Order: sequence, then C-alpha cells, then structure tokens
Amino acid sequence: MRIICCRFGNKFTQWHVDNLKHMIDEYSGLKYDSFEIIEDDLFGNWFNKFQMYDRFRDGENLYFDLDVVIFDKLPNLIRKNFTLLDDTWWRERAHTPLNSSIVSWTGDISHIWNKFKQKQNHYLKTYIRGSDEWYFKNIEYETYDKICPSIKDYIYTKPSNYSVCTLGQMHHLQEEGWTGWYSNYFLPKTRI
Amino acid sequence: MIKICTVYFEGLYKPEYVSKLYRSLKRNSTVPFEFICISDNKNIEADVILPYNHLGDVKRHWHKLKFFSPQFAYQQPGDDIIIMDIDQVIVNNVDDILKWEVKENELVTYENWWNSKPNPFAAVNPLPINGGFYKFKSGSLKFIWDEFSLNPEYWQLHYYNKGDVHYKYYGEQNYVNWKLEEHNCVINKLPAQWIGKYADTNRENIVLNKMYSTKFNTDFMILDDVNDNIKIVHFLGVGKVIHGNNDSFIEKHWKL
Repeated sequence: MRIICCRFGNKFTQWHVDNLKHMIDEYSGLKYDSFEIIEDDLFGNWFNKFQMYDRFRDGENLYFDLDVVIFDKLPNLIRKNFTLLDDTWWRERAHTPLNSSIVSWTGDISHIWNKFKQKQNHYLKTYIRGSDEWYFKNIEYETYDKICPSIKDYIYTKPSNYSVCTLGQMHHLQEEGWTGWYSNYFLPKTRI
Repeated sequence: MIKICTVYFEGLYKPEYVSKLYRSLKRNSTVPFEFICISDNKNIEADVILPYNHLGDVKRHWHKLKFFSPQFAYQQPGDDIIIMDIDQVIVNNVDDILKWEVKENELVTYENWWNSKPNPFAAVNPLPINGGFYKFKSGSLKFIWDEFSLNPEYWQLHYYNKGDVHYKYYGEQNYVNWKLEEHNCVINKLPAQWIGKYADTNRENIVLNKMYSTKFNTDFMILDDVNDNIKIVHFLGVGKVIHGNNDSFIEKHWKL
C-alpha cells in the first residue's frame, strides 16, 4: 500500500510532510510500503494533486492532505474504486459536496488525469474554487461514510467517535503558539 | 500571569516600536508580565515571538484576535490578557492599568474621550471601544476568535464592503464591538484621564489639549511634558507614526 501527499508552494513546509508521516506512523495503525510526496508545481493550485492519478497506476493508494490531524487508529480507508470524502453531513453543500482531503483507489485510474489534461486550460479557468468541484461535475466517484469531521466542531474537545479531522480553514492550528488537544498529536516543531 | 500581547509586521512601523513599548512597560511597572508579539520579524524584542504568517488567511491587525483564543500564546486559565497596539508611548507608571481588575465576560478598554464635541476632528459614530487596548480574562471572550476563524476572509473585508471603514482590512474594532454586543458582554473603561491622544497636526493637538484640560479640570494634556495624570499616550489613527517626531515628550519617554 502506498501513502501519498502533495506539497508545493510556500504555504506548507517540510514540517507539514514530516508531521503527516509522524501522525500516520504513531497513531493511525496503517502499514504501508511507501510514502510518496508530489512536489511538482505544475498548476500553482490544488489541481497539482491530479498528478498522483498519472504516477500511481497500480496497487492500493491512500492520499491525505497535509492539513489533517490523525489521532487514533484509522478504520480501513483502502477502496477499490475512486473514493473521497462527502462533507455534507457536517457542512452545507456549497459548490461541491466533496472533499479530497482523503482519497483512495486501487489500480489504474489515470482516466482522471487524462480527462483533466484534455481540457486543462478550460478546467483551470472554470473551476477556480478548487479541484473538488471538478470531481463533482466531471467524473464518477464513491464517497466514504462519516469518517472525517471538521475540527471546527471539535476545537475544544477531541471527538470520541473518529480518528481523523480535517483542519479546513483552521490551518493556523498547525502554527507555533497554538495548543489544544490536537497539538499533542503534531510533530513538535523543535524536532524539525 | 499577565500577558501583554502585540502584533508587529514590516511596513509602516519599525522594530524599535516593539522594543520601546516593551522596555518602557518594564521601566514603568513593578508588576510581572510576559510580553508576546506576533511578528514577521524574528529579531524583534519580546519574551515570546509567535509567527505572523503572510501566507495564511489572517491579515494585518486581525491577528490580534488570535489572543482571544485560550489556545493561543500558551495561555493558562485565569491569565489576564492585555492586547496593545504598538503605537503608544508609556509616560508614567502603569501598575494601575496592568493590575486593573477584569471579570469573566468583560472587556476593559480605553475611554475615547477625544471622540466628542467640541473636537471637530472626532470620529463620526465612534465605537465604544478602542482597539489600542483590550483587557480580558483568558478564554472568557473566546467567541470573538472562534466565530471569526470560521470565515476570516469574509469578516476582514466586511466593514470595508459595508462602507463603515475606508481602508481595506480595517474594521477589527467594529467586529470586536459587534461580537461583544451580540454576546451581551460588559464593556468597562479605564479612567479616561489616564490616556492621552496625540495627533499629527498642531491644530488638532491644541483642540485636544483644551478638551483634556476642560474635561478633567486640570492642566493641558501635553505641553513640554505630559500631564502627570496621563500614563499612556496613544497615536491612534490611520498612518500615524511616532518615529520622526521631535516633540520633547517623545524624546523623553519613547526610548530604549
């Protein structure tokens, strides 16, 4: 099994990559064969994640955004078909119900990359609010059950029924100076 | 523990503002405190420096709101949190300000005595709070940050888009005031005569001097030196700076 993450630009640093690996190794219970990092900044935005559908065409794949907190043993997140999060159980639908903070598939789903590349410029202009809207309107997908809430609903109390939260707009919680239940699971900054 | 919390970012002000505020607070107090600064300059002088992330969603003075979260700046239950702007000159002992008692669900701030008649320069529809100084119990006003953090991009332009402020990313005071009203919080003021306001024109300073003298039945606010009743002089206003100002009271009090 392959763990994948994506880091580009200046918003996320090597600490964020190391931190994700730290949380996976220490708390998730996941056993994996390789930890892959996509760093090529082809598009200057989150469409860069699509490179993983081109690069990884075999085996089991599990992708995480860098702005998640993993704090307990994860349920089985490996899926055969292309699967991502549906957030509408904790937020309004907005322009897309989908959230690609966690994505899984097995085998070759390079058709996603190919479809995107065919009209790349058009899609980049059309889907300015992010790649999750593109998934919603352009390809077949499956979604996880309620496995990953937003930390905004759990700022002061660690959720008891989940093992991973997205930080969403709350990236600041990974910055120096923030301490809460979540920071106990982050890689200490001094260890960089 | 008293935590005095500030924000500094490169631009209008210089790092000396932080050093001079920090050292003048130390010089003019006997009360222990920790001085914290959110800054994009790692070399500024403070007990604790926390990152000002230019790539994050929070802009300019809105960083101050982070201190309303009990999860920020290593706050402990019971801490007294003071948020201060750095464009202030400490001119007398401030123990009474640092030790000023504040209760849960209460904000202590400056009285904007200058925003009233007969000052022709007074703000129209002034707010009842002054963003230059907030004091509160750690965590007791946490909703101010919590609700802002759900949509910082919206709030940071909200008051500009409404026309309430005339500069982009201004309106932090408006937001804080609105949240205090919404949550039925108590707003209390430090004694008004403790705070001086300094303008950047002689005409306005003459008006302020007369107002201060009349309102508090005392001498002028600032002549060669500052009235003995004043503890802090605030240079509030868009674009107002302390450096480059040759007034004698600034040379005397605004120093390392």
